[in-house]
Amino acid sequence: MALTTIGTAARQGTTAFTRQRRDFAGGLFKAVILLSLIVSLAVLAVLIVDTVADGWAQLSTRAWDFLNGSLRSRSIDDKLGVKQGLYGSLWIGIIVAVTAFPVGVGAAVYLEEYAPKSRWSAIIELVIRNLAGVPSVVYGLLGLFLFVERSTIFGFLGLGWLADATGGRSVLSAGLTLAVLVLPIVIITAQEAVRAVPTGLKEGAYGLGATKSEMVRTQILPYAAPGILTGTLLAMSRAIGEAAPLILVGAISGGLTRNPAVWDTSGLREKFTALPIIIVEWVSERGRDPGFATAAAAAIVVLLVLVLLMNMTAILLRNRFEKKRG
Amino acid sequence: MRQSRNVVWLSAILLSLALVASACGGGDSDSPSSESSGSSSPGSESSDMDDPPDTDLSGEIFISGSSTVEPISLRVQELFNDIHPNVLIAVDGPGTGDGFALFCSGETDISDASRAIKDSEADQCAANGINYVELQVGIDGLGVMTNAANDAVECVSFADLYALTGPEATGIGSWADANAVSAELGGAGNLPDLPLDIFGPGEESGTFDTYVELVIEHPAEERGQDPTTRPDYSPSGDDNVILRGITGSDTSLGWVGFAFANNAQGVKLLDVDDGESGCVGATPATIASGEYPLSRPLFIYVNSDKAAANPGLDAYVDYYMGEGLDRAVAEVGYVELTEAAKSEVRAAWAR
Repeated sequence: MALTTIGTAARQGTTAFTRQRRDFAGGLFKAVILLSLIVSLAVLAVLIVDTVADGWAQLSTRAWDFLNGSLRSRSIDDKLGVKQGLYGSLWIGIIVAVTAFPVGVGAAVYLEEYAPKSRWSAIIELVIRNLAGVPSVVYGLLGLFLFVERSTIFGFLGLGWLADATGGRSVLSAGLTLAVLVLPIVIITAQEAVRAVPTGLKEGAYGLGATKSEMVRTQILPYAAPGILTGTLLAMSRAIGEAAPLILVGAISGGLTRNPAVWDTSGLREKFTALPIIIVEWVSERGRDPGFATAAAAAIVVLLVLVLLMNMTAILLRNRFEKKRG
Repeated sequence: MRQSRNVVWLSAILLSLALVASACGGGDSDSPSSESSGSSSPGSESSDMDDPPDTDLSGEIFISGSSTVEPISLRVQELFNDIHPNVLIAVDGPGTGDGFALFCSGETDISDASRAIKDSEADQCAANGINYVELQVGIDGLGVMTNAANDAVECVSFADLYALTGPEATGIGSWADANAVSAELGGAGNLPDLPLDIFGPGEESGTFDTYVELVIEHPAEERGQDPTTRPDYSPSGDDNVILRGITGSDTSLGWVGFAFANNAQGVKLLDVDDGESGCVGATPATIASGEYPLSRPLFIYVNSDKAAANPGLDAYVDYYMGEGLDRAVAEVGYVELTEAAKSEVRAAWAR
């Protein structure tokens, strides 16, 4: 009873206090953070509206042809479009998912559940965190030496066969390069998801006689799935938007006769292009042929939609898994 | 149980991605165009084009090099693939120097170049046993213009142009303000005292790069300046906007690609003096002959051993020498060679 009285008095005291001296600093702080939200949203809105408006001439009149067309020398061409880039980007996304996802999750589970906590594991964690911040061009160079050219260093390390296996300047090289690029991000997000699994669940599994691998399979992975999947899909979105590493691993900017269907796996070891490369190319071609400015804007819209679709999938998946876990 | 559902979900994502992709490519299996035909199925696709495509000829061609020449080679690829859809061609444009590096290591079949091969690059080719043919395919020319009503200027020298548009010209508002720098570089220094309004392509443009390379780079290097234009002029990526600017001011100065400048109304093309051969007017004839200094030749270099071994490559260069020179060069905005020069290039290829 006495405690309640004290609490009430304190509350009254606070009210009286703030009424006396109005909270200017607090109000100002709120206004500033609200403003920064508005500014960032406004920049995004202007960017999207501007890009869609610039690309509207292509999107409104020949959206389907544009999605189905290919790289051309002139902007006024019935066959101008982004299909080759869309396929290249989709393949890169699939390769990243298929390679970075299992390796990343495996590494995360090992680090969290199996690795002995020592100075070494701390150093490895630090290295992974730093790798996540390395500029993408550096990964592009790594990809160039590892997957595209038969470089002396990697040949010496016995990895020269990689360049032969990928076919050099191929979509496979690009996908693997970007998989290496996003691997640290996948590991870190997966680690965080694994770390968030309640100890009670793990101990419960052990209590029922589960082995460690059974515990990982039946408790940790299902519980951490939403976090792991969200992280992987965000990493895929990141990979699909990268241009610099692709330029280094030899994405084609000018034109490609070959335009295989997306399920045609023989295209994996062939020359390729990707949406960000097409955007860069058309933006630079607009000096010669101003119509490419419109085409570039339309290609940006296609890339934005693709990335948004992936992010949306990530959110839906997370919600679904969380509900199931609930 | 949970785990197996996860697997189902994961496959659902991948499947939906694949579905999105196939939806986008839905029309492609029934289109007869060159694009859907892979090398694995020659002769199996039907066609409703006027000329039945020749599906017998196949091969792969990798072209890299100058981004300036890239559109010509790409245009030739488009036209060529309408006839020979099974010759798979990839055209890239990382730049002339990068192109030669690939060419001389034997990676590419054709190297596009906006300058002749350098001695060091030729040595590299020789060291790797790469034999090649140099073929000029067109000309990239620049027209320097003023308003048609401007009688005060007839001819500008490279020194004048550097003094008017180079990095040291930043801030000057009259033609005469450039006389001091022009005289230092050996120019006449007789530009009139008239207001100066400059219109030109923006940095993103290949025409900008060509201009900097031909006019500004050399004196800027000697004088320890950045090799770029003054920042305070009106840039545009659209030649028509540049043209409107020049026609809108009586004492304007501007430059665009020659093919465009030559057809423009309301402007006067200025004569250009490179400091050695006097004032030369910009006409198709002086550009084609190389007398007009604000122009550069555009080349392709063909690996002759690969051309001998690859019928597709041989046919592509044959086509380049025909429709390429006669049609593609002009269609993507460059200056065609004269008939005499074309015959010479064709003869060089035939050898």
